[in-house]
Amino acid sequence: MNGTWLLARRNLARNRVRLLVSVGGVALALSLTLALDAIYAGVANQLTAYIDRAGADVWVSQAGVRNLHMVASWLPDSVTEEVRAVDGVAEATPILYSTDTIAAGDERAVAYVIGLPPGAGMGGPWKVSEGAARPGRAEVIVDRGFARKAGVGLGDPVTILGGEARIVGLSEGTASLVNSVAFVSFEDFRSMRGDASVVSYVLVRIASDASPEGIAAEIERRVAGVTAQSSTAFSVEERRLVTDMSADVIAIMNVVGFVVGLAVVALTVYVATLARRREFGALKALGARSRFLYGVVLVQASLSVALAFLVGLAFTGLLALVVPMTGVDLELAISAASLVKVGLFAAVIAGLAAILPIRQIAGLDPAVVFRRGAAL
Amino acid sequence: MIKVTLDVRDVSKRFGDGETAVLAVRGVSLAVEPSEVVLIMGPSGSGKTTLLSMMGALLRPTEGSIHLDGTAISELSEGRLPDIRLRQFGFIFQDFNLLSALSALENVTLVAELAGLKRRAARDKATALLTELGLGERLDFLPEKLSGGEKQRVAIARALINDPALILADEPTANLDSKIGHEIMRLLRRIAKEQGRSVVIVSHDERIRDIADRVLWLEDGAFKDMVTMVTDPVCAMAVERERAVSAQRDGETYWFCSRGCRDEFLGTRGRGGEAE
Repeated sequence: MNGTWLLARRNLARNRVRLLVSVGGVALALSLTLALDAIYAGVANQLTAYIDRAGADVWVSQAGVRNLHMVASWLPDSVTEEVRAVDGVAEATPILYSTDTIAAGDERAVAYVIGLPPGAGMGGPWKVSEGAARPGRAEVIVDRGFARKAGVGLGDPVTILGGEARIVGLSEGTASLVNSVAFVSFEDFRSMRGDASVVSYVLVRIASDASPEGIAAEIERRVAGVTAQSSTAFSVEERRLVTDMSADVIAIMNVVGFVVGLAVVALTVYVATLARRREFGALKALGARSRFLYGVVLVQASLSVALAFLVGLAFTGLLALVVPMTGVDLELAISAASLVKVGLFAAVIAGLAAILPIRQIAGLDPAVVFRRGAAL
Repeated sequence: MIKVTLDVRDVSKRFGDGETAVLAVRGVSLAVEPSEVVLIMGPSGSGKTTLLSMMGALLRPTEGSIHLDGTAISELSEGRLPDIRLRQFGFIFQDFNLLSALSALENVTLVAELAGLKRRAARDKATALLTELGLGERLDFLPEKLSGGEKQRVAIARALINDPALILADEPTANLDSKIGHEIMRLLRRIAKEQGRSVVIVSHDERIRDIADRVLWLEDGAFKDMVTMVTDPVCAMAVERERAVSAQRDGETYWFCSRGCRDEFLGTRGRGGEAE
């Protein structure tokens, strides 16, 4: 085994350019998959940021509604009081929610618009860098990134929900690649939507000795026409929606990354084996068993791919650090699941890439070492 | 009775079938004894390399058999041949065929490891062998940093590392200058005589005839002339036995390069000897 590792390592190190091309090519291919996974995981993180940071332990929605994105949930006003009456509920805050376009000058962006009741203990922005944390009438709190892009600040007007509101606060961490979160007053939201006596969700904070899942079940039992989920379960549902929407794109890019990686490693290992065909022939003539030679090729391919995996991971990690610094509302989240998946990809690539050179060696006649000038 | 290391019995090798068939070796027989140095010469395409490949269990004869210390290696399954090649044969190639990515020491160590020796033991043995062959200062050099003669000495160390009974050398002097080539051949002869190994050399090089115990001429796949080399006891010159003058003394036959040497031998040491 020592000999296998020694020869494989030395063969790789012998031609640095070939090693660089091989490792670089595969690293790029694996980075493609890793970065895409990280982008989608980051987007999912950003899209669930409001759910995760709103401060609720339990989310109550219209029966059958299990997430925020691309859905409408309408509950009668009275539901809030019914929820408050459930044992174990410490606090209940109704919010109004809609997906809308927020416009300032020429800048238009999609936003989750949240209508907050006066003095809401939950559901507001969790980090405000400038101005107020709760909006009053004809006021809006927008994401700082959106304001920067639109060139507006505190006191400037924006168009939202078909009306105009003045910016009174700038929040942080409330934007993603696809949208941001804007906060208006409950009254404004309701009047802009025809004064219907409805709420979208009821956010629940539970007593300290209760469990979110237990209280959610109790709410569903006691209040008719609602779905209640722990914040964690609600977030998982939201994330699943994002994952389902992106699954095809990820699958296609995974296949592209896989094929590119496979082609690069297979070609470079094949060329490296071809270049050393006479040496492999000499080893066969000297008595090396085929499995030793196969091992050398396999270890060469595995080492190339392992190096490429590390380089790809480092490159993606660097991207994850650098991208947010550029001002783009994009988060790259490298997950353990993604690492395992890409690692398995890499292992399969190494195995498949070794097949062609191994077949070449298998058919190698050891007597070839005596044929001078023969095309080996 | 003399123990035979390698016994080639009426071996033929045919490539291809039907009208395109080529008979590269036809009915060759040869017995190589321990410590014997056999040189096989002949023109290009005469079948030398094919014969050497068959002797080294790299190629199966179409007819006939090859025995190594009594075992018919030409009959062994493919699966058993690598072990035979690894432990019973030492190969020396014209192009050296050293592994370019490994140092001189690693080239030799690897072959010992393939035969099952532990890494440290293999390294120690290879170091000792290379040092004995004058490469003690070149252990960590890559082949590209070695001269032709040094490369061939590494190849010899690699051939010897598993203590083979037989060394098969294919044109070992072809890529070396005359002086180094001769040095290498003397080294091979010393190894044969001191260590009791048999050496079979295939070569075009006329200059190395004098190190062989026997010179065989292969032409059109068959041996034409068999020449046995002997050493003149007076001037130490290597001469072909068939062409040498001889004399007997105490029941033993001696061969000489010239009558002068014979007369000197008989006059000073061979009183009572009989000239032929």
